[in-house]
Amino acid sequence: MKLTEVLKPLGVFVLVIAVVLAGTAILSVATGSNGSGPTDGQQIQGQSPGQFQPDAVNVEADPEEGELSVDAPEGEKKILVDTSHGNTFDRAKLEPVLEALAEAGHTVDIGAVSGGGFGSGDYNATLQEYDALLVIQPGSGFSDGQRTALQKYTDGGGRVVVLGEPTQSALGQGTFGLVPTQITFGANGMTTDYGARMGADLLYNMDDSANDNNFKEIYAEPTGNSPLTEGVETVTFSRAGYIVTVGDTDASVVLGAADGTRTLKDDRTGSYATAVQNGNMVFVADSDFITRSELYDVDNEVFVSNLLNFLVSGDKPDDVPSVPGQDDGGGF
Amino acid sequence: MATGSDSASTKTVLYVVVVVVAVLVSTVLAPVVWNATQSSDEDSDTPSVAVITLRGGTTSNNVASIREDLRQARNNDSTEAVVLRIDSGGGPVASSEEIYLAVNRTAQEMPVVAYVEGVAASGGYFAIAPATAIYVKPSSVVGSVGVVATVPEVVELQNQQRQLFIRSGPDKQIISVDEIRNIVESFQNAFVGTVMKHRGDDLSLSEEEVSRAGVYTGTQAVENGFADEVGSLESAIQRAAEESEDIEGDNYNVYYKEPPEMLFGLLFAEADVEKRDGNIVYVDRGDETETEFEQPVKFYAVWGIPEEYTTDGNREVSINETN
Repeated sequence: MKLTEVLKPLGVFVLVIAVVLAGTAILSVATGSNGSGPTDGQQIQGQSPGQFQPDAVNVEADPEEGELSVDAPEGEKKILVDTSHGNTFDRAKLEPVLEALAEAGHTVDIGAVSGGGFGSGDYNATLQEYDALLVIQPGSGFSDGQRTALQKYTDGGGRVVVLGEPTQSALGQGTFGLVPTQITFGANGMTTDYGARMGADLLYNMDDSANDNNFKEIYAEPTGNSPLTEGVETVTFSRAGYIVTVGDTDASVVLGAADGTRTLKDDRTGSYATAVQNGNMVFVADSDFITRSELYDVDNEVFVSNLLNFLVSGDKPDDVPSVPGQDDGGGF
Repeated sequence: MATGSDSASTKTVLYVVVVVVAVLVSTVLAPVVWNATQSSDEDSDTPSVAVITLRGGTTSNNVASIREDLRQARNNDSTEAVVLRIDSGGGPVASSEEIYLAVNRTAQEMPVVAYVEGVAASGGYFAIAPATAIYVKPSSVVGSVGVVATVPEVVELQNQQRQLFIRSGPDKQIISVDEIRNIVESFQNAFVGTVMKHRGDDLSLSEEEVSRAGVYTGTQAVENGFADEVGSLESAIQRAAEESEDIEGDNYNVYYKEPPEMLFGLLFAEADVEKRDGNIVYVDRGDETETEFEQPVKFYAVWGIPEEYTTDGNREVSINETN
C-alpha cells in the first residue's frame, strides 16, 4: 500500500472533523456572547453595615462597684441560716455575706448548732439562741408550731429575712450528671402569716434600660423611704419572682419591679413587688442577688448591706420566743 | 479494467467510510466545542432571574455555597434579579451574619426577592432581611429574631468548677454567665438592628416586640410586616423581574441554581456519613478543629431545640431528598 493511499483518506478525515468543529465554533461564537467581563477588582466591594458598628452592637455591663459592709450598731449578734426546710442554696453563694458579717463581728451558724429537732418546743429553744434568722429558698413548709414560734420571735424583736425563688426549672446534680429539676417555694404558709406569699410566675422585662443585658435580669426600684432601700436606686434580680400581699396586712412593698415588667408565662403587665417588709420580717422574691456574680451589679451591694444591717439591728431579749409549757405555744 | 473499476470503487467506499466516521466523531465532539464556546443561559443576552435555593441550616457549608451562587449572579451580566428560595431555621450566628452580608451585597446591585418555601426563622430570616420583597405561604414560618448560647456545664456549676489549667491571666479560659449574657445581648443587637434597618418601615411591631423573638405564620407575617405578599415561587420570580429595571415585560429567562444536595446527590462530605438507611443518611459531623479543645460557648441564631433533646441523641438526621 502506498503512503498516499493512507494519507489521503486520513487528510479527508481530519479535514472533515476540522471543518465541522470550526463551523460549530463559529456558529457558537456567532450566537453566543462572550465578553471578557470586568476584572475581579471591579467586582470587589466591601460593606460595613451601620447596624454592625460598635455603637449599635456593644452593650455596657452594669458597673460592678461598691462595697458590701455591715455597720454593726453594737455588740455581737448571732444569726441562724435555716437548713431544716429543704433549703436549696449553695453554701458558696453565702460566702460574701458571711465574710461581711464576720468582719463586723457577728456570728453565723448555717443550720442550728444545738437544739435541733422540729418540735415547736425545740424550735423555740433554737430561735432563742439567735438574734436573727435567714431563710433561703425553703422547699418545704414550716409547721404550725414553728410558725407560731416565728410569730413570737418577730413580735419580740427577732429579725427574719426570707429570700425565695418562684417555681422554676433548674439544673440539679443527679447521679449521672446534671438533671433538670423544678424548684418551688415551699414556705408560703409561714410568709402568709406576715401577709405575703410568693407569686406564681417569674418576671421579665424586654426594655433594655430596665434589665441587665437579659430579659430575665430585671431591675427593681425602691417604692418608698424604707431604711432597707437607703442609698439604693436600682437593684437587679436574676430570674426573680414577685410577692403578693395577702388580705388586710401591714406588709409594705420595699422594692417594686421597674415599669414594663411582665410575668413570663402569663405575659401580664402590672406593678410587681419584689421585696416586702412586715415589721421585723423581710421577704425578697429572689435569692441570687447575694451571689458573687450579682452582688455588685448596680446597687445590689447597697441593698444587701442594708438587709444585713436589718438582720443585726434587732433588739430581741434572750428569752424570746418563750419555750412552750411556759405559755400557749402549740404543737406540730 | 475490472481491476481499475474495483480499485476506484474501493477508494470511493473508503472515502465514504472515512467521511461517515469523521462526521460521527465530529458529532461527538461538536457539543463539547459548542459548550466551550457557547455561553450558558445565564450568560446570554436575554436578561435572566436566578433562583437560588437554601434548604437546611445556615451552616458554614450551606452559606459558603449560597455566597458563591450569589457572587456568580452578581458577576453575570445577564442576571438582573435573584429569587432566594429558602427553608431554613438558622444556624450559628457567625454564618448567619455571613449569608446576610452576601444577600445584602447582592440586593444593593439587583432586586432580591425571597420566597419562604417552609421556614425562614432566626438565621434564616437574618438571610432574607435585606430582600426587596418577601413572599410567603400560609404555612410559612418566619421570625425568631434572637440568639441563643450553648454553655458548658462548668458555667452552670461555676462554684464547683475545678482548676483545670495553669492560666496566664485572670480572664483566660474563664467563662462567666455575666460575660455570656453580654455577648448574647450584643449579637442580638446586631440581629435586631439588621431587621429594623431593612424591615423597620414595613413592621407594625416595635423593636422591643421584634426582640421577643416570636415566630409568625405566613399570613400573620404579611399582616405584621415580617413578610410582604402571599404567593408562590413563580409570584416571587415575577416580582423580581418587575423590580428589575433591566427586564422588560416577560422577556426574561429563569435559571435555577440547584442546592448542593441536588448537584452532588449528598450535601455532606462522604467522610461525615455514618450510616445510610434507605433515603435517610445519618451524619456525624465531628469537631472540625483538630485540637483536643472545643469551643466552649457556641452562639446560634436558630429556631429549634438542641439535638440532644431529640430522641435521636446527638446525631444529625436528614432526609436525602431526591425530588
